Amino acid sequence: MMTFVNLLLAVLLLALAAWTTLARNMFAAVVGFIAYGALLALAWVQLSGIDIALTEAAIGSGLTGLLLLNAASRLHVNANAGGNTGRSRLRVPAALLSAAVSGALMLCVFALPETPPTLAPDVAANLASTEVRNPITAVLLAFRAMDTLLEAIVLLFALIGVWSLSSDPHWGGRPGLRQYSEPNGILAYTARVLPPIGIVVGAYIFWTGADYPGGKFQGATLLAAMWLLVLMAGLADAPPIRRTWLRVALVAGPLAFIAVGFLGLQTAGAFLAYPEGFVKPLIIAIELALLPSLTLVLGLLLLGAPLRGEEP
Amino acid sequence: MADVLLAAAGIILVTVALGLVPIVRGASATDNILAVQLFGTGGVAVLLLLGAVSGAEAIVDVALTLALLSAFVSVAFVKSYPAASSDVTRSSAMYECRA
Repeated sequence: MMTFVNLLLAVLLLALAAWTTLARNMFAAVVGFIAYGALLALAWVQLSGIDIALTEAAIGSGLTGLLLLNAASRLHVNANAGGNTGRSRLRVPAALLSAAVSGALMLCVFALPETPPTLAPDVAANLASTEVRNPITAVLLAFRAMDTLLEAIVLLFALIGVWSLSSDPHWGGRPGLRQYSEPNGILAYTARVLPPIGIVVGAYIFWTGADYPGGKFQGATLLAAMWLLVLMAGLADAPPIRRTWLRVALVAGPLAFIAVGFLGLQTAGAFLAYPEGFVKPLIIAIELALLPSLTLVLGLLLLGAPLRGEEP
Repeated sequence: MADVLLAAAGIILVTVALGLVPIVRGASATDNILAVQLFGTGGVAVLLLLGAVSGAEAIVDVALTLALLSAFVSVAFVKSYPAASSDVTRSSAMYECRA
């Protein structure tokens, strides 16, 4: 029966992938992509990669879905204005390129040795020294903490890249368009009822990350989604990117991470090494410092470049 | 017992897949939004069933995340879908640009 469910998942994934590529209507393609993300989370669960399933459900399906929706909505406006050119001509080469990449990846998978090289036994053997029980968190914040630090900084660079797309008069202003909704409508109601639940779930996913699948990235994604929901309903407005508190909050997380790194230089003899007995508290301190920064970065990345001045 | 749960998961997957058929045949804005919602709900149900079969409690957390974000994506869909924001929810999805 398990084989049947797995086969069904595989067939559905392939069908959705084909549909997403071939769909003529941009919004239908985005529907296909979001559904594909949800299915991919199921596939990762079946492969026992629950951490990846969580990330896929949060970022792959949720936030990327919103990003594509915004892009499709903008392109739609441009297409109506007569800017729709060459989409069908690009489709066949794009499909061929995707198929070629998938084919090459498939060949690589088949070429892997019977027992692939893995560091998993080493991680399992040294997991106790990190005092956290989730091996993924141990790898991300103890064994390979440098990668995570650079990831957090890359996100800031991405945000600067997005902001740099703003036109001169709007630099420092508020990102995105001001959203309005009926004060007593269903949208405003949803944006009032869902965020309290979402914030609790986001905090829980963050907190459980030390010992079970979860962590700051998935938690921050949920918190960012709830913030964006409030903005979409027009209950609040995005802050102008000129604000000092905003910029301090954005860099506070990575700065705290670097500070802990230098602390390691003093106390444990290496950058980003943790003194014995303080590993788990320090890991949680880093995650706690990164959570608000990541929430803001993810939310602001999706809001895009400033489109208006500072006035609300 | 595990087989019954897995069979249920399979049936839900097939049902959700059938919900996509109208979209492939060219559907309205509302149909697209409903298909996404169906995928969110169906995905949560399948995740919970798989979690019960495998005994991995963390799968419930994945289901929670998916449930929250599929509701969020539905709202985003209504806000950004041009046809929907002009016909279906004209009054609730108005936005303007203050350039």
